[in-house]
Amino acid sequence: MGTLSMTRLRGASSAGLGWVGGSAAAFLLCAVLLPWIGSGSISVGRVLEKASPDYPIFTELRVSRTLLGLLAGGALSLTGSLFQSMLRDSLATPYTLGVSAGASLGAVVTLALGLERLLAVPASWVGAMSGAAVVLLAVAGASWKRGRVSGARLLLSGIALNSICSAFILLIDSVVRDRRSISITQWLLGSVDSVSYRALFVFGIVVVVTSSVVIAQARSWNLLAVGESWAASRGADLRRLSITGYCCGSMLTASSIALTGPIGFVGLIIPHMVRSRISADNRVLMPCSLLLGGVLLACCDTIGRIVLSPAELPAGAVMAIVGGPYLVWLVRKRF
Amino acid sequence: MDARLAVQDVSFAYPGHRVLDSVGFAGCAGEFIVLMGINGAGKSTLLDILAGLRVPDSGAVQLNGRSLKSWSAKERSRSVSHLPQGTKQELPFSVEQVVLMGRYAYADRWFESGEDLAYACDAMRRMDCLQFRNRLFSTLSGGEQQRVLLAACLAQSPAMMLFDEPSTHLDIQQQLHCFATLAELAGEGALCIAVTHDLNLALAHCTRVLVLDQGKLAADLSVSDATHNTGWLSRLSSRLRMSRTEEGKPWVLYQ
Repeated sequence: MGTLSMTRLRGASSAGLGWVGGSAAAFLLCAVLLPWIGSGSISVGRVLEKASPDYPIFTELRVSRTLLGLLAGGALSLTGSLFQSMLRDSLATPYTLGVSAGASLGAVVTLALGLERLLAVPASWVGAMSGAAVVLLAVAGASWKRGRVSGARLLLSGIALNSICSAFILLIDSVVRDRRSISITQWLLGSVDSVSYRALFVFGIVVVVTSSVVIAQARSWNLLAVGESWAASRGADLRRLSITGYCCGSMLTASSIALTGPIGFVGLIIPHMVRSRISADNRVLMPCSLLLGGVLLACCDTIGRIVLSPAELPAGAVMAIVGGPYLVWLVRKRF
Repeated sequence: MDARLAVQDVSFAYPGHRVLDSVGFAGCAGEFIVLMGINGAGKSTLLDILAGLRVPDSGAVQLNGRSLKSWSAKERSRSVSHLPQGTKQELPFSVEQVVLMGRYAYADRWFESGEDLAYACDAMRRMDCLQFRNRLFSTLSGGEQQRVLLAACLAQSPAMMLFDEPSTHLDIQQQLHCFATLAELAGEGALCIAVTHDLNLALAHCTRVLVLDQGKLAADLSVSDATHNTGWLSRLSSRLRMSRTEEGKPWVLYQ
């Protein structure tokens, strides 16, 4: 029976790893192909010859924009699958904890003040990170009791913080003068725009490091997805896991939102799709969410670039048009 | 006998109300202890404390001569398994994945080893759920789910097993099978402690009866003493009477 079960086990894990490999291939394919698609057509030959304007459009706009979409979509989608496991709530997203609203408020404050750079990085980044940190501390403080975070309290205080931050965003938006108000509105729609390679590099490091920390704990997130007592009596260290999970999730959310604005449903669509079609095992679910989340956001951005060409539809809007119906369908099917 | 568990003067209070008041007892390898008491008597809280999930306000719990506080979560769960009450029912995992979670504390690797799977299969066979191994947990009935959770606790192969109402949702045949298996595990050298409300099932299989009443240990009797000194029954209800079956086995009548 020993050898038989070994074969079976290898079979089961290799099927999961096959899906991860497939997702990685899709991710790479997007990275290679999507930069060539856009409102103005560019030719491969001219890019290789480094001829203007094809070459600068390709390197300075399209490539950085595609990479940003891939990384931000991956980060938000991984955070969705993380929070869904930690809170045992199938509708938890980076939004649920109020973290994304906090990050938005922070970024909007910097936009309203007209700040462009702070400490040599884009001001909206600093704003978003500080906003997310403040909200996380407030929400965790409200739900921390006897050395444990209560999921229900966390969700409720997250929703409360979310409303408070949204109210302040509206308030700021109505107080500031027209031009800044327009940039705030644009930012709030959520779009993938080309960013500097320096910002992209920093963001890339944050995503790679944080995702590795999260995915390395996949077996622990599986236990938490069953229940807290369950996880604790199987040997999981709840306190350490809560701190790791909420900190990493907030880092991923805040750093993505700072660059793209709040982009909704990616953290909901992809984890649910993977969970129902591929596997709920976080060892497969999390890497697939990361990779396919990136694919979805980058593709939405590309669609937004071409459907109304030469006008652009923000990726957040495309995502909402795709994500809204999916959510309705999910609710109908599951409950 | 090998004293495995020592509970000394354990007290515990939730904000505003006291649940356990200086509870003390010892447990040995090979014992199958049944913990009884009315709703709210503190049974589940006591199990949580024994499992290391809650820390008592005062008093000490020692396992194998070592204070439970000084164990890391992983170390502890190689020696203690705990079946909580009211686990979520819509888990998206397969039965085999849930049972393999019992092996968490043993493997640092990404996927469980063949040895882990062998433990899991053995546990599923004992709890009569090997036939569902590839089904989704959420598609099982309540009783079938309970057997899967029990199998995960067995797969952990601990020296002490704590069960909070293990026979919940089980049909009669499976209740008998469950308690017989727990008695069997104790016979193989484990210390089993189960909370239950089923007096006859308990008396037929356990070796010892503990009764909690208003946070205090009201009775601590071997199963044969429990059938003779029946005063403890009044702690559970005034409408109980100890009787015997035709074969001379104890049988509690509900009046």
